Amino acid sequence: MFAYVVRRILATIPVMAVVALFVFSLLYIAPGDPAAVIAGDQATPEDVERIRASLGLDRPYLVRFGAWVWDIMRGDLGVSIFTNLPVSTMIQQRIEPTLSLMVVTLLLAVSVAVPLGVLAAWKVGTWVDNAVMSFAVLAFSVPVFVVGYLLAYIFALELDWLPVQGYTAFSQGFWPWLENLILPAIALGSVYIALIARITRATMLEVLQQDYIRTARAKGAGQRSILFLHALKNAAVPIVTVIGIGIALLIGGAVVTESVFAIPGLGRLTVDAILRRDYPVIQGVVLLFSFVYVLVNLAIDLLYTLFDPRIRY
Amino acid sequence: MASASVLNPADVSPGSVKVAEPTRDIMPPVKVRKGLWGFMWRNPTIAVGGTILLLMVIMAVFAPLFWTVDPTALAPARRTREPSLEHWFGTDMLGRDVYSRVVYGARVSLIVGFAVALFSSIIGLTIGLVSGFVRWADGIIMRIMDGLMSIPSILLAIALMALTRGSVGNVILAITVAEVPRVSRLVRGVVLSLREQPYVDAAVAAGTRTPVIIWRHILPNTIAPMTVQATYVCASAMIVESILSFIGAGTPPIIPSWGNIMAEGRALWQVKPYIVFFPAVFLSITVLAVNMLGDGLRDALDPRMAKRI
Repeated sequence: MFAYVVRRILATIPVMAVVALFVFSLLYIAPGDPAAVIAGDQATPEDVERIRASLGLDRPYLVRFGAWVWDIMRGDLGVSIFTNLPVSTMIQQRIEPTLSLMVVTLLLAVSVAVPLGVLAAWKVGTWVDNAVMSFAVLAFSVPVFVVGYLLAYIFALELDWLPVQGYTAFSQGFWPWLENLILPAIALGSVYIALIARITRATMLEVLQQDYIRTARAKGAGQRSILFLHALKNAAVPIVTVIGIGIALLIGGAVVTESVFAIPGLGRLTVDAILRRDYPVIQGVVLLFSFVYVLVNLAIDLLYTLFDPRIRY
Repeated sequence: MASASVLNPADVSPGSVKVAEPTRDIMPPVKVRKGLWGFMWRNPTIAVGGTILLLMVIMAVFAPLFWTVDPTALAPARRTREPSLEHWFGTDMLGRDVYSRVVYGARVSLIVGFAVALFSSIIGLTIGLVSGFVRWADGIIMRIMDGLMSIPSILLAIALMALTRGSVGNVILAITVAEVPRVSRLVRGVVLSLREQPYVDAAVAAGTRTPVIIWRHILPNTIAPMTVQATYVCASAMIVESILSFIGAGTPPIIPSWGNIMAEGRALWQVKPYIVFFPAVFLSITVLAVNMLGDGLRDALDPRMAKRI
């Protein structure tokens, strides 16, 4: 097992290297002079020259990449072209709202989706199952910002139950913090809930066919204990895997949800950076999100080996 | 087989043996509907999804015939009118007719959806085949694909769009790059499992050349999973397009697309929600139709997978 853990950790290195190389190269894949691309359409020649110098475009490509990676390892993600602040500082200022939104969404989604999937598998073929599956297809078909506007319109504007937009820092108190995150979390979580509910149902259907479930029934175990103790425990690995993979949906969706609900997080930072063509910021955010995504999935893979005695490598 | 000779009809004179009445069927005969109609009857999700999608395509192609006016015509005097008989879906903040913009906007969403599905299928198929057949390339290709897949796809498309000028072609390119890794992984998986099949072993043993094996044995078997995947890619591409346009990194504002109309309605959504509402409904129905088509095709093309996910 130790050898597996080491191999699995080492396997993330080439993945991260590809991500880094890709994010770095983006600027040079685009047609034209990278300095002019960054500077945008309204730039003066002096602006272009200044950016060219700051990128160090006079040095060879691989040397630049090496220097860039070295900087990143030391936590230096470059300097924003627009604000002239270090990108790492800008990310630090914006990380709390995004992290809060994601954690709330994750908790909400898992606590809703898993019981929903179990229910659908238990009542397979009935209207309950059909309703859950129809919800799932619907959730996959409506863009996250549309769900956001719909929820905000109904629950904030019409019913006035929750604030329409904005974010309150966690340090200002738990309820004001949570109040602002409920609607965004439901909007962002809808696709994620659909994804987890579908995989939970599919895996549970498979597990419920197993002999040990029949044995459990025969020995007189109750329905709830069969579903949640015997079956769900054995269906956990694919479900947890999808929860990990689905974080990509959360990251992509957060960018949009933060725009809808005016949450000053990393998503808003990204959108603003795009409109200003602030490329170092975009690179920094993409890199950060991708690394977090890779590390979360690494952690999940490693947890299996600890918690599931059936997995031996 | 002694009894066979006893009942040999040649030995029995007519009338000497009483023939039993044919047993009545307990079940009524199964009515088999043939042709396209029968296929639709057996696969209602394909029928419903396909019909809605077809209607949207007709609407997009013949947009000028659907009682539309010029979707880019400005009329500042008639800004933000509520939906009425004259302007079915109202007008936006520049006085443009939202109904006409929504009808014309179908073009962008459908073109992006279909083009991304087509291109990512072709590229993904090629990469998947190479990866499945060329040992030394497999490791390199799959590491690259793993890397690309670990960048959340919307973020990848956003990063690509941030570099280029907003145009429909660039949107298609950006979303295709984000979708290709998933398709290639799928094709590679199918190819690797097909290579273990006895009929492929037999073809190898018979001395069939690799290109012929790929053409005759591998490719036809990738079509079914590829088609299903392509519909899902199409659905997700339409959503990503709207998201890109919505945050201002998609198609240029001059071209009406569902995402653009919603992006323009954003500033006014609290007072004039209909500007966001109508394109949202059209987009969601279209994506729903494509998703239904995908689910239906999956069940129809691979009965073993049916009823699972």
